[in-house]
Amino acid sequence: MSERYSFSLTTFSPSGKLVQIEYALAAVAAGSPSVGIKATNGVVLATEKKQKSILYDENSIHKIEMITKNVGMVYSGMGPDYRLLVKNARKLSQQYYLSYQEQIPTAQIVQRIANVMQEFTQSGGVRPFGVSLLIAGWDDDEERPYLYQCDPSGAYFAWKATAMGKNYVNGKTFLEKRYSDNLELEDAVHTAILTLKESFEGQMTEDNIEIGICNKDGFRRLTPAEVKDYLASVQ
Amino acid sequence: MDILQINQTSDYKKAGPLQAHFNPYSYNGGTVLAIAGENFSVIASDTRLSEGFSIHTRENPKTYKLTDTTVLGACGFHGDVLTLTKVLDARLKIYEQDHHKQMTTGAVAAMLSTMLYHRRFFPYYVYNIVAGLDDEGKGCVYSFDPVGSYEREAYRAGGSASAMLQPLLDNQIGFKNQQGVTRIPLSREKAVNLVKDVFISAAERDIYTGDSILINVITKDGVTDERFPLRRD
Repeated sequence: MSERYSFSLTTFSPSGKLVQIEYALAAVAAGSPSVGIKATNGVVLATEKKQKSILYDENSIHKIEMITKNVGMVYSGMGPDYRLLVKNARKLSQQYYLSYQEQIPTAQIVQRIANVMQEFTQSGGVRPFGVSLLIAGWDDDEERPYLYQCDPSGAYFAWKATAMGKNYVNGKTFLEKRYSDNLELEDAVHTAILTLKESFEGQMTEDNIEIGICNKDGFRRLTPAEVKDYLASVQ
Repeated sequence: MDILQINQTSDYKKAGPLQAHFNPYSYNGGTVLAIAGENFSVIASDTRLSEGFSIHTRENPKTYKLTDTTVLGACGFHGDVLTLTKVLDARLKIYEQDHHKQMTTGAVAAMLSTMLYHRRFFPYYVYNIVAGLDDEGKGCVYSFDPVGSYEREAYRAGGSASAMLQPLLDNQIGFKNQQGVTRIPLSREKAVNLVKDVFISAAERDIYTGDSILINVITKDGVTDERFPLRRD
């Protein structure tokens, strides 16, 4: 009596591809740009937050979200799918804390989120998530930053720096030239803004981009005032 | 309905309605004791396994090494002790494979608590004590009840002779009920000697405690073993 399919809608094509995942990646590539850069003492996440009309209340909804004190993430692609994953990630982190009384390590939460995304490529009656995630974290015991990307397929990659969404190829090329292993967080924020600027149409202000940083003090989203300061040093 | 058997006229007893019972638990005795020092932890247990007035074996220690910095002491129903330690070992291995590092003592304690509570309605009849070094290198002791209530402490005795040992530890380590005594931090030698003495006393009066003691000392250099004979009666 249940209207649920028991078979997966994501099936192989003769060439060995999972077309639904390819299409999901296309949805991601059409989404607004996001950037992540790992520095020696932290990670920065940045994203464009262009609203279609000036009537939108910009500061009510955020793209950069905290998962735990030490982990935050951002996306490119479909907003509603992202919301679900944020909620899921938060729940998984708290479950971990319940079992071990310890903050979940970044690599662990990434694995768990990626596992959720993979399930939606093999379960009955569901479609893959239309988002790619950038997850930034700081591990206290190892005292080091982490930057991971999670794709609709469930694959995850550790990056030093990367770009997703519209124009991501140019973004990555820009980062390849600009990135160095001894970048500090301050410089990384600067570089992230410049990377976003490459694909930005119009004037970049503190209301149409969002920046989040993750260092030994944990993860936090920068206030519009802080973003304005960084923008001033760029323009 | 002749439960009082008042109207029974025969000379021999006739059984009335009987309820079938199977007791899933049995009690195998044993005592465990753990003390946390500044940069070490001591956990000791006797090695006798009993049932009723019988001895199953004189050589069954109740401490189980979990990681290089954590040792579990578990006594009560031996069947549940074995299963619990097996499951714990498996969980620890999985954690190590996932995380590429060993579990911290605090995490082991937290996980054990959840494992025990999952069996809230058919508990593991085990009294657990986890001893080790915390992530700052200081000694730590966590004591549990059979359903997972746990707490970090400086010292704890568990098992059959716990009621005899705990007050003595309160006095000697916690300096309770003593006036005007200088509180000197417990050294490793003093802790080990105290453990030997209290177990000797426990073996005098508790029938389930005896045969020998196994003392594990946990430091940053690893876990050491030390055996000591106890009275065998």
